[in-house]
Amino acid sequence: MKSVLIVDDAMFMRYTLRKILEKNGFMVVGEAENGLLGVQKYGELLPDIVTMDITMPELNGIGAVQLIKQINPRAKIVMISAMGQEQLVREAILAGASNFLVKPFSEERFIEVLNSI
Amino acid sequence: MDKSLSKEPMLEMFIFENLQLLEQLEQTILAHEKERCLENAVINEIFRIMHTIKGSAAMMMYDSISSLAHAIEDLFFYIREFHPDEMDYSKICDIVLDGIDFIKNEIGKLEEDQEADGDSSPFVENIEQYLLLIKEASANSNLINEAAARPAGLQKKFYISTSKSPPTENIKRYHALIYFTPGCEMENIRAFNLVHKLKDQADQIDYLPADIIENNDSVEFIRENGFAVIFTTHLQQEAINELFMKEAFIDSLDLRVMEDEEWEIEQLRARNQIILEEEPSVSNNEVREIGANLHSGSTRQSLISVNVDKLDRLMDMVGELVISETMVAFNPDLMTATKLENFHKATRQHRKIINEMQDLVMSIRMVPLSMTFRKMNRVVRDMSKKLKKNVEMVIIGEETEVDKNIIEHLSDPIMHLIRNAIDHGIESPEKRASLGKSPAARVYLEAKNEGGDVYIIIRDDGAGLNKDKILERARARGLMQKPDSNLSDGEIYSTILLPGFSTCEEISEFSGRGVGMDVVHKNIEEVGGAVLVDSTPGQGTTITMKIPLTLAIINGMRVKVGNSIYILPITSIKESFKAKPDNIIVDPDGNEMLMVRGECYPVLRLHQKFRIESALKEIAEGIIVIVQNDSGSICLLVDALLGEQQVVVKALPKFIGKIAGISACTLLADGRACLIIDVANLIILAKVK
Repeated sequence: MKSVLIVDDAMFMRYTLRKILEKNGFMVVGEAENGLLGVQKYGELLPDIVTMDITMPELNGIGAVQLIKQINPRAKIVMISAMGQEQLVREAILAGASNFLVKPFSEERFIEVLNSI
Repeated sequence: MDKSLSKEPMLEMFIFENLQLLEQLEQTILAHEKERCLENAVINEIFRIMHTIKGSAAMMMYDSISSLAHAIEDLFFYIREFHPDEMDYSKICDIVLDGIDFIKNEIGKLEEDQEADGDSSPFVENIEQYLLLIKEASANSNLINEAAARPAGLQKKFYISTSKSPPTENIKRYHALIYFTPGCEMENIRAFNLVHKLKDQADQIDYLPADIIENNDSVEFIRENGFAVIFTTHLQQEAINELFMKEAFIDSLDLRVMEDEEWEIEQLRARNQIILEEEPSVSNNEVREIGANLHSGSTRQSLISVNVDKLDRLMDMVGELVISETMVAFNPDLMTATKLENFHKATRQHRKIINEMQDLVMSIRMVPLSMTFRKMNRVVRDMSKKLKKNVEMVIIGEETEVDKNIIEHLSDPIMHLIRNAIDHGIESPEKRASLGKSPAARVYLEAKNEGGDVYIIIRDDGAGLNKDKILERARARGLMQKPDSNLSDGEIYSTILLPGFSTCEEISEFSGRGVGMDVVHKNIEEVGGAVLVDSTPGQGTTITMKIPLTLAIINGMRVKVGNSIYILPITSIKESFKAKPDNIIVDPDGNEMLMVRGECYPVLRLHQKFRIESALKEIAEGIIVIVQNDSGSICLLVDALLGEQQVVVKALPKFIGKIAGISACTLLADGRACLIIDVANLIILAKVK
């Protein structure tokens, strides 16, 4: 069972992603509500996959990806983005994000991405 | 979102979180509106909150909310990136506040299980037009235009792919045509992601369309014609095929090896592809700094949100625990036991823990008034803007805590009183100037703890109440029976709380349809509180609401009526005594009255009221309890007083419904259920009679 860390400042999104993940046989090992906490939790939990929001307080998703990549260059991170964030997604990929999703997305899409990385 | 996921908790979460965000946003805007400039931090906050709402709403398919949030996000994105000079801050605040109102309203509909069917397009249009306007205004400056083309803070670096020597045996050139899954969005960035991954494995990467990064329109091209990549690698075709197909959202892949000839021709034509590589916006130094901070100051969350129903149940259960503890400690079976020393020691410890637990549960239900108070900022702002009055609100003691269930009853009365104060109390700026008052009027909203009560005071420095006009009106409406000379100022002012009283001639948008003040009065009385009015002509009006700290536990007096026991709330008892037969008066209709120190009170025999058999024949045989509230006092006749006790108030079960004269029930120490008397209701019934 793959372990997942959810990093998102919106409680609603964390809840929604957790529900989808748990339903599809992933194990959510942690949640973080900003980039900094996300990095911290990553270090503690070393999950197989991280889902990462982009716009967040304290430290945004891109900064968090860079830090996580310093902890583990092979970390698998999926960005959760929204329309209009093309450039930010690009930066995230350059920083080492494995893939991304664009809100709104369906359960199938989300799982497809997670299985692909 | 997928139907198979249970919607209810998701919706609840959506509503809860977004309302909180909107509330936070509203406060931020109101706090900064006066400064006539928005700091970067504020702009960022607005941007972020709108972004979050947009995302959540889109996931839930609430398109009207999500498109409005998107429009506001866009506007603030522009403001954040380009800092336009020509901005009307008041207008921007209006835009955001209107947006907040719309979304709040939609969420309100969702809360009541209705469709969020509002149309946000007029708002969106309005915002887009305004964005165009500020864009045009700043387009005059070329400098800014340039900045638009190249956002500041991005250092560009050119990366020229190395032209390798002609093909050796193992190295082949491939051509791949890729179609992405329809609807996966941002195809250009997906293409970029592919190229980025390919870089580790391949050289001389060319692709069509070439402008996937710079031009978001390339999305359309990729959707229609696919994304073509040409690259050189030593990997075998199967390995490459696997590499691509492993990626998510790849609908189809057409991969083939290019012939040498084809490759050479292509090479002749090919320029060295220049790939733009940007420094990520967070520099490495910065990242390291943040990383260092991580270990020192952790920002762990120490709050969780709990469903109120659960808290209510917890409260209930602790109440029952208190009762069952007494049932154990004073169990009749223990009477026969001889040696109970250890048992009593244990029950004392037990009781101590339960008492602490009770205190703790009570404190959990306490909520500070700050949220309710801060909401009023908006009321004051909107009204003073509309009525062109300069009003400042001063909030004092917002940290005062009140039981969660009571707070819900306070918001409306406070809002109403503040509206009244601004609409009727405070004079126009011209009049204030002519009276020598400061042009900025003040409304104070204050809360404080005193004894077991919380006082909420709303004070303005306006014109004050007009005593004569109130008297005149009260008499015209038949609300005043006593002669004028017997009336205290407080009594006169308090008549504005009576139903059907309104002194303002014309009905305004904000207040004054004659239903206002009595609703305030009713709401406050419902939670066991009282409203006091005081006023000084020319200096302002003060309205004080006295509210109990909590509804859940009251001090009660156990009274015996026939063989039944009832609880009378101690706060409503004025005195109790045995009546002398001489003081009992019976009027021609057979109504019994009691003279007490020259005043006459109606007598209500509780056993008659509740149709209970009682040995009582004469009033003088029983005990008279005088109970009072703001609307008057009456005498209740009971068989006996049994003692004082703290009781846990429990709502009457639904199947019983509402009973006149009974407000709730409770459990006695012996486990018997017992009804709590609704004094206010009895007084009204007695007066009507």
